[in-house]
Amino acid sequence: MWNPNAMDNRQMEKRVVIGRVRPTWARNMPEAREDDDKSDQEVGVMPHSEPPSPTETWEQQNKQEDKYDVFGKVMLLGDSGVGKTCMLVRFRDGTFLSGNYISTVGIDFRNKVVTVDGVKVKLQIWDTAGQERFRSVTHAYYRDAHALLLLYDVTNKISFDNIRAWLGEIREYAQDDVVIMLLGNKSDSGLERAVRREEGQRLAREYQVAFMETSAKTGLNVEAAFAHVARALVAKANPVDPARLAVRAQPSQEQRSSCPPCS
Amino acid sequence: MASTSKDTVSTNVTSQEDIDDDLLPGACPESVLNPTDSFEEFETEMSSNPQERHSSLTTKCSTISEIQSEIGESSKDMKTVKSSDDLKGKDEAMSSSASSSNLTDQNGDGVDSDKDEYLQSPELVNKEKHVFILSSAGKPIYSRYGNEDKLAGLCGVIQALVSVVEDQNQDILRSINTKDCKAVFLVKGPLILVAVSKSNESETQLVMQLTYAFNQIVSVLTLTQLNRIFEQRRNYDLRRLLAGAERLIDNLLIFMEKDPAFLLGAVRCLPLPEKARENITNAIISTCNKIRDLVFAIMIAGNQLITLVRMKKYTLHPSDIHLLFNFVRSSESFKTAESWTPICLPKFDATGFLHGHVSYISEDCQACLLLLTVQRDAFYPLSQAKHTIAEKLEKLKCIGAINDALNRSKDLPTTNPLKHIGIPIIRHFMYKCKSTAQLFTSDPISLDRLQDYRMMHREGGDITVKKIEKLSDIDYVKNYRKFCNQIHCATVPAKFIFRSNSQDTILAWITNGFELYVTFDPLVEKEQTKKAVDHLLQWIKREENRIFIMNAPTF
Repeated sequence: MWNPNAMDNRQMEKRVVIGRVRPTWARNMPEAREDDDKSDQEVGVMPHSEPPSPTETWEQQNKQEDKYDVFGKVMLLGDSGVGKTCMLVRFRDGTFLSGNYISTVGIDFRNKVVTVDGVKVKLQIWDTAGQERFRSVTHAYYRDAHALLLLYDVTNKISFDNIRAWLGEIREYAQDDVVIMLLGNKSDSGLERAVRREEGQRLAREYQVAFMETSAKTGLNVEAAFAHVARALVAKANPVDPARLAVRAQPSQEQRSSCPPCS
Repeated sequence: MASTSKDTVSTNVTSQEDIDDDLLPGACPESVLNPTDSFEEFETEMSSNPQERHSSLTTKCSTISEIQSEIGESSKDMKTVKSSDDLKGKDEAMSSSASSSNLTDQNGDGVDSDKDEYLQSPELVNKEKHVFILSSAGKPIYSRYGNEDKLAGLCGVIQALVSVVEDQNQDILRSINTKDCKAVFLVKGPLILVAVSKSNESETQLVMQLTYAFNQIVSVLTLTQLNRIFEQRRNYDLRRLLAGAERLIDNLLIFMEKDPAFLLGAVRCLPLPEKARENITNAIISTCNKIRDLVFAIMIAGNQLITLVRMKKYTLHPSDIHLLFNFVRSSESFKTAESWTPICLPKFDATGFLHGHVSYISEDCQACLLLLTVQRDAFYPLSQAKHTIAEKLEKLKCIGAINDALNRSKDLPTTNPLKHIGIPIIRHFMYKCKSTAQLFTSDPISLDRLQDYRMMHREGGDITVKKIEKLSDIDYVKNYRKFCNQIHCATVPAKFIFRSNSQDTILAWITNGFELYVTFDPLVEKEQTKKAVDHLLQWIKREENRIFIMNAPTF
């Protein structure tokens, strides 16, 4: 049941945190040594809490449940009721949540590893609540996200009209180089459709973001959308700038900064 | 400590002073829960004048900022608190158009005469209890049945009634009674809450339920935000911010009608072997004691408390726990993923949000762990802590113990207490330990039955004449309402009530230490019941470590 997302997150953020002093409790830990960046990042993500007792957690981290090459945080955004959770459940479990409407409370966290072009990409997917009152919570997570899937419901014109406002928020809160993808969900709806495909395309072109119409019900384009995001993340992480992918190279650097050249 | 019962009550009065002081089942020197009785509070709620009431809603110091300053992060986090409440402002631009699609336009629903007809529609007539919530400007916010949009006219009438009494008589409209129906009004901050009930609940009990409904709204928005919204725009349509929270109020209303925990202002604990509970508590403490900003770690299952570990000095009020129970039960999305969500606990601190990591402990166990912190970006450390705790519980075999208790495994003495106690004349009992605000009943509502009740309710909530087969906990609790009310009556409280008729015999008894309600077979002698009650109390005393949380662990 151990779910290593907390660690993954660290590994990713690792790039940003450079030259942090390793906590003393971790220095002599053989387990921690194996993967220095984990213990290091502990300090980075938990500025206000003591790290948990190392003996208990490291064992679990060593479980190599899923190996992956690239890690990315993907956030699902859009008005309430456009099908964010359904989209995610279709992608993760291959099923469709029909019947009861499950409204998300706050943010839900799930993981999935996808393989694109032979590269394993681990996606940590944050499913957000669409309701207005949760905006302040979700805002706090925009900055950490590497990719955003912005959904509207093709049968609901208002949800489409709000996309501009969402994009405005994204500009304000998210990283500048965040991958954005616009999705018109419920494309299976036939006659109930209120937003034409072309309108979505036009909007996407205007904001220079990728666009697809999807259906969580039939599964249309669901895999494709996430694969697109995964590819974009791989491209982002790839050796155009070697320093970015150098997750493994980093520790030595840190070693240097944390302990002065002894011997 | 000895209980005296010299007050005369209309019914039979006996003096029962032979319970020795040390036999107060469930009592312990320190409690995880704040045992303040809600009843007194609701009484004042009902008697105080408008000015006092208003001030009670505005002058509050923030416990959350107190904690934050204690852990030495005041400057940074004060900002956090503010911004966390700052749902408005920037979002306004979006929300003005974002009002979600399910809110239909009021104008679209036709003319007034249709609305009057609507009041007679089967959606609304013949319901046991209606609850309406509106803003003090008269805008509908919530209606338990029907579509609140179509009830704008009714809300206008309610608002007029309330304000006429307020303005012309400088008084408060508290209730209107007709032959078979009570309408109880509660004005709280910018909201007006009304219950129209044909049930046997007293005015105080209805006010309590309305207060809970109000607290539910506060728990979603915080009092600060609620007040500010209406200060800025008196005619704001609050449904926009509450979208998705209606079901919390729906479920809370159902929950309150059947769970004695609300009636008694107490919390039900999941009966567990002492050792298992201790292990669970220790697993939480050992994992979390280094996380400085964690305020409460609470494990619950099926509306029952498994354990609560808290920051020193801070306790939780039962009504806050009830809101948490309701929150977890009503949110399906927690079952599928780890969640991170803001939540305001009105009794703890109505002015700000705590942030909660909410997750079920494992896929095969319905126990849910809530880690509540003042730190808004603590998701990752808490997520990690949760997994560590889950592993420890697995190792210690606590999950099995929890499942046994939840599935009401036959071997446990608490599964069928009446059989285990072995006094055939007792049909049902409910016991509250006052000092710890904990509750035990002989027939806890099982989860399936709760589900049935909810289904039944969804289909109607209509008044029906029910054929009595076997009474369930819900029915017994309904019968206790009247006695509970007499015992908590502000003017002439009863201490001991014995009532016997051809249906059943009911005994209600309050002492300094506990409240006890027992249903016996009809027409039993008082002497017999006295013996039975002694025996019952001894049994509870013997099992107290299993059925109650007898300590108050801190991080």
